[in-house]
Amino acid sequence: MARHLKALAAAAAALSLMVAGCSGGDAGGGAAAETTLTLGSITQATTFAAKDMRWANESFYGQAVYDTLLIADPEGKVQPHVATEWTYDTAKTKLTLKIRTDIKFSDGEKLTADVVAQNLKRFRDGVSPNKNLLEELADAKAVDESTVELTLKQPDPGVIVGLSRNAGLIASPKSFGAADEKTKPVGSGPYVLDTEKTVPGTEYYFKKNPTYWKPEMRKYDNLVVKVFTDPTALLNAAKSGQVNGSNVIDRGTLKEYEASGYTLNKFELDWLGVILYDRGGSMTPAMKDVRVRRAINMAFDRASILTTYGQGFGTVTEQIFPPRSAAFDKSLDSTYKYDPAAAKALLAQAGFPNGFTLKMPTSPLMGTTLPPIIQQQLKDIGVTVEFTQSTDYIGDMLAPKYSAAWMQLQTDEDFALYKFQIGPVATWNPFKYADPKVTALGATMRAGSDADAAAAAKELNAYIVDQAWFVPWYRTQGVFVTDAKTQVKTQAGNAIPYLWNITPKA
Amino acid sequence: MGSFIARRLISGAVLLVVITTLAFLLLYAGGGDIARKIMGDQATQEAVAQKARELGLNRPVLSQYSDWLRHAVQGDLGVSWFNGQQVTRAVTTRLSVTLSLVIGAITVAALLAILLGVTAALRRGWADRVIQVGAVIAQAIPNFLVALFLVLVFAINLKLFRATGYVQPATNIGRWINSITLPVAALCIGSTASVTQQIRGSVIDALRQDYVRTLRARGLSFRRTIFKHVLRNAGGPALAVLAVQFVGMLGGAVIIEQVFAIPGLGQISVLATQQGDIPLVMGLVLVMAVIVVIVNLAIDLIQGWLNPKVRLR
Repeated sequence: MARHLKALAAAAAALSLMVAGCSGGDAGGGAAAETTLTLGSITQATTFAAKDMRWANESFYGQAVYDTLLIADPEGKVQPHVATEWTYDTAKTKLTLKIRTDIKFSDGEKLTADVVAQNLKRFRDGVSPNKNLLEELADAKAVDESTVELTLKQPDPGVIVGLSRNAGLIASPKSFGAADEKTKPVGSGPYVLDTEKTVPGTEYYFKKNPTYWKPEMRKYDNLVVKVFTDPTALLNAAKSGQVNGSNVIDRGTLKEYEASGYTLNKFELDWLGVILYDRGGSMTPAMKDVRVRRAINMAFDRASILTTYGQGFGTVTEQIFPPRSAAFDKSLDSTYKYDPAAAKALLAQAGFPNGFTLKMPTSPLMGTTLPPIIQQQLKDIGVTVEFTQSTDYIGDMLAPKYSAAWMQLQTDEDFALYKFQIGPVATWNPFKYADPKVTALGATMRAGSDADAAAAAKELNAYIVDQAWFVPWYRTQGVFVTDAKTQVKTQAGNAIPYLWNITPKA
Repeated sequence: MGSFIARRLISGAVLLVVITTLAFLLLYAGGGDIARKIMGDQATQEAVAQKARELGLNRPVLSQYSDWLRHAVQGDLGVSWFNGQQVTRAVTTRLSVTLSLVIGAITVAALLAILLGVTAALRRGWADRVIQVGAVIAQAIPNFLVALFLVLVFAINLKLFRATGYVQPATNIGRWINSITLPVAALCIGSTASVTQQIRGSVIDALRQDYVRTLRARGLSFRRTIFKHVLRNAGGPALAVLAVQFVGMLGGAVIIEQVFAIPGLGQISVLATQQGDIPLVMGLVLVMAVIVVIVNLAIDLIQGWLNPKVRLR
C-alpha cells in the first residue's frame, strides 16, 4: 500500500512539473518592457558572411545584423541610408556615393568609405547567387573618408537597386577572412546575433545592438527567427501564438491562419507559365515561326489554370513585366485570347496543319496536376507534348536540352528582367537567341536616360509579347501572415517584407 | 568479454566505412547539378561554375570520398554548405536533443510495456483483450498522426503544453519536460505496443514453464516469482524488440522533430537532405550509424547479463 502511495506521489510530482512549464506564447526577452519579434522562416541563413549573403527569403538575416548602403521603400523606390547621396557622371560609368561618418560596427570599428569599397569588391568576387548585381564593377575606391567612387565597365541600372539589397551589405573589416565569418556576423545593423543561444538551421536569436545609429528604425528590442521545414509545424506554432509573422508557402493552410486571427498580407512576386526558349528553331524548327509561338499562347486557358492549379492566388497576365514597372501595359494582357480553333488555324497557316511534336521536361516541382493540363491544352491545337522526367530540371533547361518548358521566375526591375530573362546572354535565354531589336532596346535600357530607358522597356515588353517569346499564365501571389499584434508593409520585388516594415500594431 | 567487445567494435568500424561509402556514392549519384542546387535558380551559370570549382565538385567521386574519409577519421567532418557551421559542431549540439527524446521514449515504452504486458499476461480476461486491441491500434496509427492529434488537443485546445520548440534542460527542468512530453508520447506509442505484445507473449510462455510451478510450490511469493524470475527469462526477446524499436525511433524522430520544430538531428536531416547539403548529410549518416552500432552492442551485453545461457565468450 505504501509503495503504491509513493508511486502515486511521484507521478503527481512529475505531472505538476510538466504542467508548471505550461505553454502559451513564448515569454519575451529578459527585462521588463522588452519587446520581441518572432518570425517564422522557410529557410535557414545560408551564410552570415556579408560578401556571400543571399536575399529574398533570407533578407531579414542580413537586415538584422548589417546595414545596406541604400534602402528601398515598400514600393521599391531606392532611398538614402548609409549612403546619403549618389550621383552618376554623364557616361553613367562612374558612381559617386557620399557616406555617413558617424557609424560604428558592433566591434567598435569605424564605417568609412574605404570599408565600403572593400565590401563592394568582396561581394563582387564572392559566391552569392546575386553576385552579378555588381558584375560591371571594375573598381571601388575611397576618394576621401566619406566619398566612395565606383567605376563600372559599362552602365548598369541594376547597381543602385543592388546597393539596397545584399550587394550593399557592409561588414566590419576585422571580420574579413575570420574563421567564423560565416556564423558570426559583425555589422552595424539594429541587432547582434546571439551565437550562444542560436542553433543554426533551427532558431536564430538577435539582441539589441546598443551602438546602432538609427534606433527609430528598430521596432523591437529583440528578434527571433525560427526555421520551420514543415508547414504544419508552422501552423501549429502560429495557432499557439509562438510566431508573430511568417511567409506561408502552403496555401492550403491559409484559411486556418485566418481562423486563428492572422492577417493574410498578399503580394505578387513571380510570374509563371511556359517559356519558349527555342525562338530560333534550332531544336524544334516549328518554333522559329512567330505564328506557331502565338498559337501556343492562344492554346492555354489562363483563367482556369489559375483557378485549378493556382487555387486562385494570382492575376492572369500575358506579359512578364509587372504592374509596378513603367513597361507594363494592361492592354497587352488581352493579346492572345483562349481560342484553340483559331490557334489550330494559325498553325495550319504556318505550315503545320497536323501540328508537331514538342519535347518538354517534367519534375516533381510541377506537381501531378500540371503536366496533364499542359498536355491536354496543347493537344487541343494539334501539338503533341512528349514529357521526359528530369532529375535536374533547371540544369536541363539551361543546358539547353528542351525547346520549351514550364517555369516560374521573378518579376524583377526592368533592366534586371532584361539581363536575366530576355537579353542575348541572359541566363534564361539558354539558346542565346539574339534579336537585333531586343539588343538595341536593351542597350537603351542600360545606358539611356531614365525617360529613354522607360520608353525602351515599354517598347521591349510590347515587342516580346507580340513575338510570343514567352507564354505567361499568371503572376503568383505570395502571402505573409501576421498576428493580431503585428502589421507589415509588403515589399515590392521581394519574397518577404523588409525587417523595419514589420511593426507592432498600435 | 573483452575480446567480444573488441571484435564487435572492429566489425562496427567496418560497418561504418561501408555505410558511409554507400551514402556518399548515393548522394553524388543522385543526379542533378549539385552546385546549381546550392546556388538556386537566380544565379548565373558562371556563379554556379565558380561554386562547383570552390567545392571541388568536378573531381572524381571516389577521390572526393577518400578526402572526406581522411578528414573524418581526424574528426573533421567539414563545413555545412548551407549554413557555414562546422558539421561536427552541428551534429554534437543536436545529438543531445534527439537522444533526450529517443531515450525518454524508449524508457517510457519499456516501463509501460512491462506494466501492460505483465498485466495482460497475468490477468487475462477483459484486461488482456483491451490491451491487445489497444496495442494493435497503436501500432497501426502512424506516429506523426498521433503527434498532430496530441498537438491539437493538448497544446492548442487545452494549452497544457508547447506546440513547438524545445527548452534546454539547463534553462529550466520543468519547461524542458513540458517541451518533450508530447514528442516523447508520440514517439513511444508504436514501440510501447510492440514491446507490450512481446512481453505479454514471453510472460505467458514463461508462466507455463515447470520452474514457475516449482517456485510457487516452494512458497515463493507471486510478486517475486514474476519480477525476479519470469521477467528475466521473458526479458531476452523483449530486449531484442526494444533494440529494433530504438533504431526505428531514430527514424521516427525525424518526423516528430519536424512536427514539433525541435532542433535535433532529425529536423536538420530533413533540411540537409532537401537542400543537398552533402557534408552535413554525411555527418548525420555517420552519427546515426555510430549510435546504432553502440546500441546493438549495449543490448547484446545486457542480454548476456540477463541470461547467462546466451553469454558469449
